Amino acid sequence: MEVDREDGRSQNQLRPLACSRNILHRAHGSASWSQGDTKVLAAVYGPKAGTKKNENPEKACIEVIWKPKTGQIGKLEKEYEMILKRTLQSICILTVNPNTTTSVIIQVVNDDGALLPSAINAACMALVDAGIPMRHLAVSICCCVARSGLVILDPTKLEEQNMKAFAYLVFPNSVHSVLPEGSLSVQGEPIENGIITSVTHGVMSVDDYFYCLERGRAASTKLSDFLRRNLQQQSTDSSKAG
Amino acid sequence: MEGRLANAWRLTVNDKNFIKTALLSEIRIDGRKPFEYRKISIKFGREDGSSEVQLGQTRVMGIVTAQLVQPYRDRPKEGMLSIFTEFSPMADPSFEPGRPGELAVELGRIIDRGLRESRAVDTESLCILAGKFVWAVRIDIHILDNGGNLVDAANIAALAALLTFRRPECSLGGEDGQEVIVHPPEIREPLPLMVHHLPIAITFGFFSNESILLIDPTHNEEAVMNGRMTTTVNANGDICAIQKGGGEGVPQRVIMQCLQLATSKAASITKQIKDAVEAFNTERALRKIKRHPTSTGVDVREKQNQ
Repeated sequence: MEVDREDGRSQNQLRPLACSRNILHRAHGSASWSQGDTKVLAAVYGPKAGTKKNENPEKACIEVIWKPKTGQIGKLEKEYEMILKRTLQSICILTVNPNTTTSVIIQVVNDDGALLPSAINAACMALVDAGIPMRHLAVSICCCVARSGLVILDPTKLEEQNMKAFAYLVFPNSVHSVLPEGSLSVQGEPIENGIITSVTHGVMSVDDYFYCLERGRAASTKLSDFLRRNLQQQSTDSSKAG
Repeated sequence: MEGRLANAWRLTVNDKNFIKTALLSEIRIDGRKPFEYRKISIKFGREDGSSEVQLGQTRVMGIVTAQLVQPYRDRPKEGMLSIFTEFSPMADPSFEPGRPGELAVELGRIIDRGLRESRAVDTESLCILAGKFVWAVRIDIHILDNGGNLVDAANIAALAALLTFRRPECSLGGEDGQEVIVHPPEIREPLPLMVHHLPIAITFGFFSNESILLIDPTHNEEAVMNGRMTTTVNANGDICAIQKGGGEGVPQRVIMQCLQLATSKAASITKQIKDAVEAFNTERALRKIKRHPTSTGVDVREKQNQ
């Protein structure tokens, strides 16, 4: 079943990705991530001394501040902050710096669909830039189910509004390991098959959801490759400067 | 909370003394002369009315949006202009999220005064139906990176965003001509705002030694200086606003010197903003032509029929 997408992409094609690190001078780590026209800027400060009142002082705490492009901060922004905080808490190694707070600040520069996944990807890159210890990276993708039943990846804002349902999925990045295969798997499955976060909107059938997961997992491999290339390239650049 | 205060950045005594001593010989730590501006780069986003300005290491983003609202009762024929400043915690570890602090409010007021009181933006052209519908233009300023002199950078960002913003065209309709129909941008081309002149804010830094005067202080210099003054002037030589809140007392001749300096700087910055906006408008027009290949195809066929 062919679907006509406005920008001429096929149902499994992602928009062009662009990422740059270390763009801000005061922040400890910063990254800008864009998927097509959606652009998000993330900055990381940390670790700072002390945790907030209700947080566990035996572990590091992650604080997320989401800044929308315009308008006041409402419930949607608070929800995004909570989802981002929980996702980042599961990928960072919280026992390395106990009783500290790492602040992640997200600024929306332009919203053209798949905003939360872009923000998660940007936050991950900013954490790498700041040198915060992490178990693995998180790659995030948006899959949606059209009214016709077709599953498409990485929708634009117009497409998102016309969908029956969509899901934001976060997977760990794919692993290139020197260790023998099988040592990094969890219960017989490779680590990158695990789902860190899944947020759905709208009604979709269970089969559709599993199909989305499959598609998302395939796309996350592509995203992981992009991240790896980007990080390796920039790390060699900085070593030349130093 | 004390833990958070301990994270505030402080310049060491050695650094402060070095900056002061160097200034006595008219040397600034980034190599500039005392009356030299840092490099200004103005970029625009994909949408109309979004700008990103970089002044040295300072980075500010300006977003302009507009909404149809009911006007104030005592000004039924004027549109509204409001400025919201967000000192994002991204810019500086000492900026806390939540309510804007005094610096943010002051910055917003300086820019507001420069635009509103000097009538730089024509608010009467924003009126659609007197007493019922006017456009309320909202400028959001997001500070992304604090490298010093936020006022000037934010002002340039606000101006650049205002110059590239387009509001949808609307017409009156309905049975009694009292309904406002807003045309989407695909049907009718949106209109730019009427901006009469560009008020440019120029910030000066004063030190305890009277002969030391700086323009465009960096973050380190701001921590050392004893007084600051922001003058908002336009390229015609009009003074739109002057803001000097406390700090070191300064003799009259120094203020006059500052004003003359500001007028010359304003001319060059105005030219830079106008060039950048011109380039953006050209690119926007090109994009519009590329977006409608079918319409040009139809024209060719019609000509052949004739």
